[in-house]
Amino acid sequence: MAYSRKRNRRIFLGFMVPAILVLFCTTIYPMIYAGYLSFRSYDLAKLFVPRVFVGWANYREVLSSSEFLHTLTVTFKLMLMTLSVQLVLGVGMALLVTQRLPGMGIIRTLLLIPMMISPVIVGLVWLFLYFPELGYLNYFLSFVGVSPVPWITSTQWALWAIAIADIWQWTPFVMMGTAAALTSLSQEPYETARIDGNSNWEVFWHVTLPQIKPVLISLMFLRAIDAFKIYDIIFVLTKGGPGDTTEVLSMFIYRQSFTFWRMGVGAAASFVSLAIIVILITLFFKSLSRDPQLA
Amino acid sequence: MNKPSTRQTILVYLLLAIVLIVFLTPIYIIASSSVKPTPIMFQKPPAMIFSPTWDHYIALFSDRPFARFIGNSLIVALGSTAFSLTFGSLAAYAISRIKHRRMGDVAFWILSMRMFPPIAVVVPYYIIFKTVGLLDTPLALIIIYSTVNIPLTTWLMKGFFDEVPTALEEAAAVDGHGLLSAFWHVTLPLAAPGLAVSAVFCFIFSWNEFIFALMLTGSNAQTATVAVMSFWSSDAVQWGRIMAGSLIIVIPGVIFVLTCQRWLVRGLTLGSVK
Repeated sequence: MAYSRKRNRRIFLGFMVPAILVLFCTTIYPMIYAGYLSFRSYDLAKLFVPRVFVGWANYREVLSSSEFLHTLTVTFKLMLMTLSVQLVLGVGMALLVTQRLPGMGIIRTLLLIPMMISPVIVGLVWLFLYFPELGYLNYFLSFVGVSPVPWITSTQWALWAIAIADIWQWTPFVMMGTAAALTSLSQEPYETARIDGNSNWEVFWHVTLPQIKPVLISLMFLRAIDAFKIYDIIFVLTKGGPGDTTEVLSMFIYRQSFTFWRMGVGAAASFVSLAIIVILITLFFKSLSRDPQLA
Repeated sequence: MNKPSTRQTILVYLLLAIVLIVFLTPIYIIASSSVKPTPIMFQKPPAMIFSPTWDHYIALFSDRPFARFIGNSLIVALGSTAFSLTFGSLAAYAISRIKHRRMGDVAFWILSMRMFPPIAVVVPYYIIFKTVGLLDTPLALIIIYSTVNIPLTTWLMKGFFDEVPTALEEAAAVDGHGLLSAFWHVTLPLAAPGLAVSAVFCFIFSWNEFIFALMLTGSNAQTATVAVMSFWSSDAVQWGRIMAGSLIIVIPGVIFVLTCQRWLVRGLTLGSVK
């Protein structure tokens, strides 16, 4: 037979070489380089200090600095705030758009738009809405009896201001994924449940939710990985302030590297963040492979 | 699900109306503010009827070479898309066709490359590009965006190639097609929707990206997102220009949503929802 499997496999492997080569040069190599930097004193602000090997000093400094631990807390707090609201709102909206009523297709499509917008633009339009004294958000809220909120200027509200912008952009993502899962559910358990005289809420809680749980878990991990990397919206809205109330991990790395020019410390902090993201990614893949239908 | 009663129907539409207002108002604000005269920009109640002005757009393109920045964004986005589609779909095809138990690990490894925080590698990139003289060039951004776009394309295309039956390729082989020829003439056309959705995601990601563009470009290769941000400074925020620039940046995304929404779901969830 002319169709030799062995030869094919070699050609297929050849197909993979360019992509793997590019990814190696553009991801693995910079990471190795960052690893190298993280063990050096690489201080661009002090030109005449030699860039020497300093062992674990940068890591010790990062892990023991209260500023770093603070940014880590803020990052996880923001993650918790956005994920919980996105999950509840997203599932609720999915239940609405999966009703068998006319017009649902166009509504679903329109709700995809926020996700396609650049996070910087999302930040800018929310800055416009939050803007002290002038912004429209407080004006709209005054109709429902909410007194003016100093969104981005108060330590109490700044983190929520960021969370709301992220929730606005990504709740449709949870909605969309959940809606797709809902429409592919089998109908049988519903009929049984209804014959048994369960209320809508009981049916949702005991029949629907367990079935869409794997999808919800995957969606939440995807959101968690993104939430961990959040940067653009904060850069536009608060730049980490007021004070350091909204300074997330990405902001810390940026400041160390490009404001103080302490590349070694920045690289060490990057590696700590990489370790955390590796854990999240591994959990995400585990969640995928638990459900054979998804992987 | 059974058909909702009249009362339920009204409730569903009412709630959806609120949802739509919440999620679409910011987009309306970008569009309306971009043509609102500056004096009434923050007028309350918001002016719904006013004579639109093109001043902000004119200023946007005459104050700064915004057309060139859009050009830069286009070069980077199209370049990275072409690069990623070529390499990504070849790798995806191999992963889809090689039957080996380690292939799943390779696929996961490639996908995981997409998830790393950009900020963690921006320092080494800065130093490397500075050394080789690529700082502030479109090529630098094309290379970096491909690290996100190649994994995405690989992962999405693998799903599409899996759906093309190998029997078709074997038939093509019998007809005298080589492996590459069968891939090009038989498999790829059948996976065309995958190419389209991958292209959309590569383009939108590169077009929207901000952090790398901000840190690795200066006046020469600046992209539109960075340029829009530069109208915002602590002493004067030029909202008209910001909104005009924002609307221009938002337009490709809106067009893609309206034209290929069917496939976007699959792309956004990395194929975990089909």
